[in-house]
Amino acid sequence: MHLKFIQIIGRQEWNSIFRSKIPLALYAVLLTVSLLATFTGWQYVSKFNQQQAAAREEVHDHWMTQPNRHPHRVAHYGYLVFREKSPLSFFDFGLDSYVGNSVFLEAHRQNTVNMSEAGFSNGMLRFGELSMALVLQVLVPLFIIFIGFHTVAGLKQNGVLKILLCQKASYLDILLGKTVGITLVTWALFLPLLMVSLLTGVISLSAGFNSEQLMRSALIVLLYGLYFLVITLLVVAVSAMSANARNSLMALVLVWILFFVVVPKSAQTLGSSIFAAPDKIAFEQAIEAEVSKEGDSHNPNDPHFSELKAATLKKYGVDSLQALPVNYGALVMQEGENISSRIFNKHFDQLIGAYKAQNSISNYLSFTDPFLAIRNVSMNLAGTDFDTFTEFQKQTEKYRFEKTKNLNEIHLTQISYKDDSKQKVSARNFQQQAEFKFKPLTIKASLAHGAVSLVALFIWVLAGLASLTFISSKRAYQL
Amino acid sequence: MLEAKNLTKRYGKHTALNNLNLTIKPGEIFALLGQNGAGKTTTINLFLGFIEPSEGWASIDGVSVVEHPQQIKQYLAYIPETVMLYPNLTGIENLEYFSSLAGFDYSKKELGKLLSTAGLQPQAFEQRLGGYSKGMRQKVGIAIAVAKKAKVLLLDEPTSGLDPKASNEFSEILKTLAAKGTAILMATHDIFRAKEVATRIGIMKEGNLESVLHACDISANELEALYLKTV
Repeated sequence: MHLKFIQIIGRQEWNSIFRSKIPLALYAVLLTVSLLATFTGWQYVSKFNQQQAAAREEVHDHWMTQPNRHPHRVAHYGYLVFREKSPLSFFDFGLDSYVGNSVFLEAHRQNTVNMSEAGFSNGMLRFGELSMALVLQVLVPLFIIFIGFHTVAGLKQNGVLKILLCQKASYLDILLGKTVGITLVTWALFLPLLMVSLLTGVISLSAGFNSEQLMRSALIVLLYGLYFLVITLLVVAVSAMSANARNSLMALVLVWILFFVVVPKSAQTLGSSIFAAPDKIAFEQAIEAEVSKEGDSHNPNDPHFSELKAATLKKYGVDSLQALPVNYGALVMQEGENISSRIFNKHFDQLIGAYKAQNSISNYLSFTDPFLAIRNVSMNLAGTDFDTFTEFQKQTEKYRFEKTKNLNEIHLTQISYKDDSKQKVSARNFQQQAEFKFKPLTIKASLAHGAVSLVALFIWVLAGLASLTFISSKRAYQL
Repeated sequence: MLEAKNLTKRYGKHTALNNLNLTIKPGEIFALLGQNGAGKTTTINLFLGFIEPSEGWASIDGVSVVEHPQQIKQYLAYIPETVMLYPNLTGIENLEYFSSLAGFDYSKKELGKLLSTAGLQPQAFEQRLGGYSKGMRQKVGIAIAVAKKAKVLLLDEPTSGLDPKASNEFSEILKTLAAKGTAILMATHDIFRAKEVATRIGIMKEGNLESVLHACDISANELEALYLKTV
């Protein structure tokens, strides 16, 4: 391998692409689509977050201005929590449009996150939205195919490869030079655009400089650079194995269909058929059945609550609920909350486990499809992945539980058992409750969730280089 | 300089080249005549190292083509039937590119001189190759060979499709190169051009080198008769 020859061939490839009008015309189209996707994505996220902020403020105002009330009434009055979109979601929508945006938190009930964009669309959304990530993941590979399908096959077809091979540069030098040239063209055309879009978007959507988001942006740029390299390696390898440019183009279009349509769709279908997850009704029924079995706080003869009653009376050394220094009704509610929350969390973890197992098929298929690898890692870094959504669900449930527990504590200590429902406590008690603030996953956690796909992407680079080395060693691929 | 010993190439049951024994000395032009499929291109590809022999061996300047495929590259240059090169580069840029890949770093002046030596008009140097005639492109191919100071030149139907003037110019350049010590192996269909330019002529049929003649010992008409009789 001669670095000097690789550099010369790479430079020639670069000049050759820029001297031709078709790649530039293609680039102009992709540039327009990218800018459009970036602008509409940014506008949508910006508007969405403004609306969410206004709604959040309204809900908060309602909470803060509520009159003196019975705490259990407040617990059922509930609280709406909104899911703010991550600053990088303008770049990669990921699952954002398909998962809910708000959840109503109340005592005794774990409501689902509702109001997704898909739920409010005419169904066309299932065919996908135009995001910059989609352009980079799906359309840029097509661009690379169009500028690179003939890179070696064309030279074979017109006999130039033989002349090239009669110089001092080896076939491996030629293949690597071609890869360097095409990769650098793709990087030069798309990575600065990506970098500027991410920085502008992140700074404007995060209301200032956010080092965490900038770090995520830098990683996105780096990994897309790697992805373009993988696609280029693949294009050069197929071109080198093809007898002529026509065969190379046909093979690459087939590979594109396989990578961008067949494998991703199959991964999802395969995942859900291998790891079946319960539907919503079955999920809720299972929780309800287990809660009833463990302890029903509304049933006066329930053994669990009979035991609780006996233990509480014994603890305080009294013989009637009225004689207790605390409100027994609040104790029952909290115990009911503890049971339902524990059982919900157990079933929820099982459900998430099933979904994760389904997603793992797509993760492991990243080793056969680089598109799946970049798609998964891109969603992880943009904060629009399944794990970020799950984290939101977990944090809202934790917040709901803590909030209900606090209200039960107020009920326990400030409301007496006698004439319980006729009493009220000061609104100041509710105003002191902490507000919900979603803590997104750290970069480390996001990368850990995308580790399999990340490793797959690096393996693809190594496999691409190994393929070129193998192809260059075979005489059959020189003619 | 160029040597083949019992050189054989088989594709399954088909023998593309059978037991070729050939030596071409420096300064010699050896023309291989034969119909399509006679084994001419196979012979050239075996010397270039693009295909591996089934039996026997080929060497250039005593170096085995099979064992040292990279080393033999420094000795040889190849010109195909149609030199396409890079149509969006100029003649001088093409020459600069190929010579740099051969390890030479020529100045613009030197590149111009090389193109002139190959017979290209100076006004064509800065024109894109896409606008060149076939003859002009063949001259750039010659310039590439001269630029790398090749000791051996392998040509596959180089004058096919050239007009008589361009073909004649091409022959003159080959003679000049041979006079400077280059060993040339040329596969061709053109009996009269072979007679005119070659030192020796070999007639091939179905993978066999049927006869080898000294060009000076035979007239063009006799050569044609022999060729027709052989093939």
